[in-house]
Amino acid sequence: MQKILVANRGEIALRIMRTIRKMGIKSVAVFSEPDRHSPHVLFADEAVCIGAGPSNQSYLNGDKIIAICKELGVDGIHPGYGFLSENADFAQKVTDAGIEFIGPTPEAMRIMGSKLAAKDSVKKYNIPMVPGVDHAIDDVKEAIAVADKIGYPILIKASAGGGGKGMRIVDRPEDMKEQMERAISEATSSFGDGSVFIEKYVTSPRHIEVQVVADKHGNVIHGLERECSIQRRHQKVVEETPSSVVTPEMREKIGDAAVMVAKSCNYVSTGTVEFLVDDKLNFYFLEMNTRLQVEHPVSEMILGIDLVEQQIRIARGEVLSLTQDDIKPDGHAIELRVYAEDPLNNFLPSIGTLTKYQKPVGEGIRVDDGYEEGMAIPIYYDPMIAKLVVHGKTRTEAIQKMLQAIKDYKIEGVSTTLPFGTFVFEHDAFFSGHFDTHFVKKYYTPESIKEKQKANAEIAAIVAVKYWLDQQNILKPVEHKTTSWKRRLA
Amino acid sequence: MPDSKTAYKVKSNAFEFSFSKEEIESADLVKISPNEFNLIKDNRSVTARLISTDSSGKKVTVEVEGETFDMEIKDELDILVDQMGFSTATTKHVKEIKAPMPGLVLEIDVTEGQALNEGDKILILEAMKMENSIMIQTNAVIKRIAVKSGQAVEKGQLLVELE
Repeated sequence: MQKILVANRGEIALRIMRTIRKMGIKSVAVFSEPDRHSPHVLFADEAVCIGAGPSNQSYLNGDKIIAICKELGVDGIHPGYGFLSENADFAQKVTDAGIEFIGPTPEAMRIMGSKLAAKDSVKKYNIPMVPGVDHAIDDVKEAIAVADKIGYPILIKASAGGGGKGMRIVDRPEDMKEQMERAISEATSSFGDGSVFIEKYVTSPRHIEVQVVADKHGNVIHGLERECSIQRRHQKVVEETPSSVVTPEMREKIGDAAVMVAKSCNYVSTGTVEFLVDDKLNFYFLEMNTRLQVEHPVSEMILGIDLVEQQIRIARGEVLSLTQDDIKPDGHAIELRVYAEDPLNNFLPSIGTLTKYQKPVGEGIRVDDGYEEGMAIPIYYDPMIAKLVVHGKTRTEAIQKMLQAIKDYKIEGVSTTLPFGTFVFEHDAFFSGHFDTHFVKKYYTPESIKEKQKANAEIAAIVAVKYWLDQQNILKPVEHKTTSWKRRLA
Repeated sequence: MPDSKTAYKVKSNAFEFSFSKEEIESADLVKISPNEFNLIKDNRSVTARLISTDSSGKKVTVEVEGETFDMEIKDELDILVDQMGFSTATTKHVKEIKAPMPGLVLEIDVTEGQALNEGDKILILEAMKMENSIMIQTNAVIKRIAVKSGQAVEKGQLLVELE
């Protein structure tokens, strides 16, 4: 491959291009009109504007992106995450145009893109799944019969779903009809596919996922687990590896299960198999993400491998240079997603200009970002500013390094999730490792951040008054001299 | 009358503190470099950094644990002046509601002439794929609606006028 186009923007586009350059390959950026000043555009060897701000007029315009590839002689497309990354039709068009899609095959994307097809695909591999049905269901009587068998509460889920849409928890049979209707209607309007199914609702779940890497020659290895239980609005904010609850035996079992899931759909490239883990540490297959994950840097830091480089080598047809025995974790890594959101106001987007922007630096600190001081956060895209990732010899060391890095990360002009990060990393439940996906609901209130801010503001106030009084004392003799000087003049 | 014990008031972006002379004098503060101070308060040892001051010395920017605070100091004289009503800051009657962020007006839930109570929804503004309800903070009557649904607005753009 001589030239790769990155069909994405911001921090992930920049992160991918850095690896492309490292490998001696030319990079092509695409960008929307408001992104002209973005670092990914400045970094690329070639850059093409593909349209207006809204994603459906720019970053989602697959046909235009393919046309640019032909014009510029591009031989590979890296989709990043989000946008077109899990669009099987786009991957198919890219392949048909004779361009290498750096990712899985369209078939694997199609299977894993539907939760029901995914369940069907892994069925014969004896992978633990949450008790429930493995087919679409629209009959309330059947739903109640299933729920009676597996026990309440149950979860109605959309087959095409994601991000909490088309999802309903049902505690008793009387609510089944109403909740099913709402789930089906939500799934139809959000995904154009009204298929829903039923699963047992795991009450205190942890969200643990496994990185897999597969080449085109049938070799599949796993790159250990990532703990992603700290979420807000069904979206991850903090990820770490290794997980503090996974034992060596469980690591082997969950890793093997992930490899089998990948094999079930003839997976190629890097991917992530997500599992739900209950309070007794039973794990259940949830879904597979057929792309590079936002949180991939934590795995890179403890494994010492560049996952994007692996993707490009695999796309070139190389045989995996790593075997499962080469996967040895070194230390502990934690990531905090720094979003332009106000943790004091329900994590609502906080839009504005970065009047101050200084990154933390130091050994074991990695910041993947796509902004610089003075840049505005556009309204059209995901409000993530950066991923702050730290690596330490132990989990405790990593947590301490993270707390210091947050203090050294200076962002003004917008509210961010940085103070929320401090709250998480100082919390006893996080420190002990005993937490689940309900962490935010159970422990977090805006007041906990406000109290801390108030205590620090009071310290700032005392310092300000003391300093002002000191300055007055120093200035007094000077003032006196000035007065006599004036008197002499008069 | 001001609290006889209050000698200084300090206002920051979100908080206001009052201190007596004794409280300031007894604070355990040591200077550790020209612009760094260590304070022990409630057994907590914290180092604060002085970022800047204005020419009057009463506007001071201080950084504590990575957070920057813009502080404004008022002494007894300033507090007295405020009490006598020379200060211009009064509670302003809200006449206009402006967009708190750039976005797209998704729907408008009010009509001109409609009487609203505090907390009623005026419209929904979509920004970064999130729907944000814009509520009214006081009881008021809508005089004019300055935007249409489907319209993109800039930050600070007028949304509705109130009677």
